[in-house]
Amino acid sequence: MFIEVRLYATLRRYAPASLAGVFSVEVPMDCTVAELLNMISIDPTEVHIIMINGVNSKSTSALHEGDRLGLFPPVGGG
Amino acid sequence: MILQKTIELLEKGEVPQRYLRNIGTIGIEGQLCLLNAKVAVVGAGGLGGNIIESLTRQGVGYLRIIDGDNFAAHNLNRQLLATEGNIGVNKALAAVRRIAEINSDVSGEAIPQMLDEENADLLLSGMDVVVDALDTISSRLLVSKITKKRGIPLVHGAIAGFTGQVTTLLPGDIGLEKIYKVSVGSDKGIEISLGNPAATPALAAAIQSQEVVKILTGVGELLHKRLLYFDTELNIFEILTIE
Repeated sequence: MFIEVRLYATLRRYAPASLAGVFSVEVPMDCTVAELLNMISIDPTEVHIIMINGVNSKSTSALHEGDRLGLFPPVGGG
Repeated sequence: MILQKTIELLEKGEVPQRYLRNIGTIGIEGQLCLLNAKVAVVGAGGLGGNIIESLTRQGVGYLRIIDGDNFAAHNLNRQLLATEGNIGVNKALAAVRRIAEINSDVSGEAIPQMLDEENADLLLSGMDVVVDALDTISSRLLVSKITKKRGIPLVHGAIAGFTGQVTTLLPGDIGLEKIYKVSVGSDKGIEISLGNPAATPALAAAIQSQEVVKILTGVGELLHKRLLYFDTELNIFEILTIE
């Protein structure tokens, strides 16, 4: 199945071919967010907010065909 | 004009000139809500300076400014309260001076200390709203813990580079641990590499200030259980659902 991955801010460097950090990836059925991060070689400690279809989720959340997965690094400055 | 006299005028339906342009959006009742409110702003740097400026001009009657840090030259690019003349001056004290220059209805109280486990409960209790304008993850989580315990609304904002985020937590909500992982040895976010340019804190702070006004007046819709995330490098403005 295919998942649309959207990388934000500094995480976009993991998708250098896409200026906006958006790309599609094929994953096995019942793939979790953590497994997808591993597949695309993103360091999970860099990801603080996980959004599936605009709703916050966990690294253990299962993905489904056509999901939009948003990955956000921590923004902490003031 | 002193606060009590202003309140009496508004209660008679008379609007002091300085609030004329507020009334169309919040009404006289809303202005009275603001003048009678107590708000703590934790952090008087990039976010805090802009938030303090807005809330003072908007006419929030009492502002408690908590910051133990002093201005340094590297604050000048973005921190509204930082000037070449006050490098080395405590940020909370500078904020209270600025408040007094702008609006004599507003009582500014400077707390020139960093918020910590020892003082947080005392410094935040009795506030109608607390604003998170801090710059470390651990201090944000501390504020969130105390406001949750005390049942005080919390308006969170954070910035890095071209990006920023704002959300409002109300009593009963899960705290900021929903959006920050706690990890040993890492208390900062991507601002470490991206820095904090001039306009990003102003943008996040403006939205945080509007959240405070909406909480206190009941006008409009809050960013409650939602997080506004922006990245002006790519003109991204997204509202994410926090459950």
